[in-house]
Amino acid sequence: MEPYLEIQRATKSFPTRHGPYVAVKDVSLDVARGEIVSLIGHSGCGKSTILNMVAGLERPSDGGLWLGGREIEGPGPDRGVVFQNYSLLPWLTVWDSIFEAVDSAVVGLSKADKRDRTERFLHMVGLWDHRFKRPAQISGGMKQRVAVARAFSVHPEVLLLDEPFGALDALTRASLQDELVNLWTLDNSTETVLLVTHDMDEAILLSDRIAVMTRGPAATIGEVIDVPLARPRDRQSILTDSTYREVRERLWYLLTVVYATADVTREAV
Amino acid sequence: MLRLPVLSATAATFPVGLRAAPPRGWGLRLGLVSRASDAAKGLLYTAGGLGLLGLIWLLASLAAGRDLPNPLATLEVFGRLVANPLYDNGPNDKGVGLQLWSSIGRVFAGFALASLLAIPLGFLMGANGFSRRLLSPVVQIMRPVSPLAWFPIGLAVFKSAPTATIFVIFMTALWPTLINTAFGVMSLPEDHRNVARVFRFSRFKYVTRVLLPFSLPHVLTGLRLSMGVAWMVIVAGEMLAGGIGIGFFVWDSWNQLSLERVLSAILLIGLVGLLLDRAFEWFGRRFAYGT
Repeated sequence: MEPYLEIQRATKSFPTRHGPYVAVKDVSLDVARGEIVSLIGHSGCGKSTILNMVAGLERPSDGGLWLGGREIEGPGPDRGVVFQNYSLLPWLTVWDSIFEAVDSAVVGLSKADKRDRTERFLHMVGLWDHRFKRPAQISGGMKQRVAVARAFSVHPEVLLLDEPFGALDALTRASLQDELVNLWTLDNSTETVLLVTHDMDEAILLSDRIAVMTRGPAATIGEVIDVPLARPRDRQSILTDSTYREVRERLWYLLTVVYATADVTREAV
Repeated sequence: MLRLPVLSATAATFPVGLRAAPPRGWGLRLGLVSRASDAAKGLLYTAGGLGLLGLIWLLASLAAGRDLPNPLATLEVFGRLVANPLYDNGPNDKGVGLQLWSSIGRVFAGFALASLLAIPLGFLMGANGFSRRLLSPVVQIMRPVSPLAWFPIGLAVFKSAPTATIFVIFMTALWPTLINTAFGVMSLPEDHRNVARVFRFSRFKYVTRVLLPFSLPHVLTGLRLSMGVAWMVIVAGEMLAGGIGIGFFVWDSWNQLSLERVLSAILLIGLVGLLLDRAFEWFGRRFAYGT
């Protein structure tokens, strides 16, 4: 496997009044081009910190991150981010949210082409009729569609998703997971996707590999599990697949026993 | 035995999109009806409150005898003042409309000058830590000072009481706008900044699409507060300055021993203040965004 995204012994600590707090320590992970990899772990274990370092929003305190052989030193047009809380600008309409992103992040395209692309992505995620609405006027699922479309519309090499569907109801979450896979497939599955989640089924359904985080502080990647399920995956039929069950059992064991947090252990016993 | 709170597998197995449209007609009609009855209720409460005030006033005037004019006598004078607001019989006898207009003019002059300085300075303080640390002690010392204390300075510098009054309003309207603007810019969420960074917004786009839209409501709140205080201070300022203006009118009425006119002026000052505040509120709502 030729690694495209390389994370090597990345460590991130934040200064606090009681000395430095080490969020993640010695995280190493290689991701190939076109791969979908999930980061799963308990809340507060530093999953988002890793994602933010890949996004270039935070610099590692130690170690390094490389993308296509070049060290990541800041945000770039090669990486699109879907933030945990949508992060739409409240004063921009659905149309403007996507157009402004395309306009800024894509170079060498005429305004007309940028408008065309905005229109195409709005149709793709079914928001064309809502294009003049602002975030306050649309539902959580629609906001997340805007965020996903915005990230895809700049045609990034790497898509970074930070618990993208965590705040949504189960039905909306399911349809958005499907839309995500559809968008990824439409782009010939060339996009590399890093997905932060705490939902085991989401991780199994979407990923090629799942990186399981140990408990924080100073969390790191404990084990990487392969998900050898053929694509396209059907969320119904994989439930009875023996591979699915094996992966799920392994994940379950790791999260509830090996890397269990204090309160989960109490609940599990 | 393993027991975990939520299993999303069962729920996540229905790949259905939710695209139900809300029944718009109903919401609209109900909205109109409830808004009409809300307005009626509001009027009723206003009338009730004013009635209560009038009653207390009446009782107080009965108790005070001739020292305090009663509501009816005051309303009669009020009526006469309002009936002919624009007459001009020389420097010491002008209609109340002219007095109010002059005060409004000064307030807006001082307010506009203050805003011209306070808004850019607020942006600077909000966006730049160095200027914030440098300027914030100055602001904190100047802000609690009654703006009227600046009147002698204004007189000394400008050699003119009307200009000194505008200067006092300028000093009044500076602080709320400055502080709110700086606070607004400072409180720009990290998330919004990250959106701009991830999607490589240019400096221009960052300012016009992120920083300005976010801080505008804060700026407008500052302007509204500034206008409110300025309108309060103008009365006292014109009492000191004399000449013309609603503050001068109040003081002049006292000298003419007409408390009816003083009370009428108080009523007018309150009404104009309310109108100004509502205008700014309306303006602020136009630029508000939901979250």
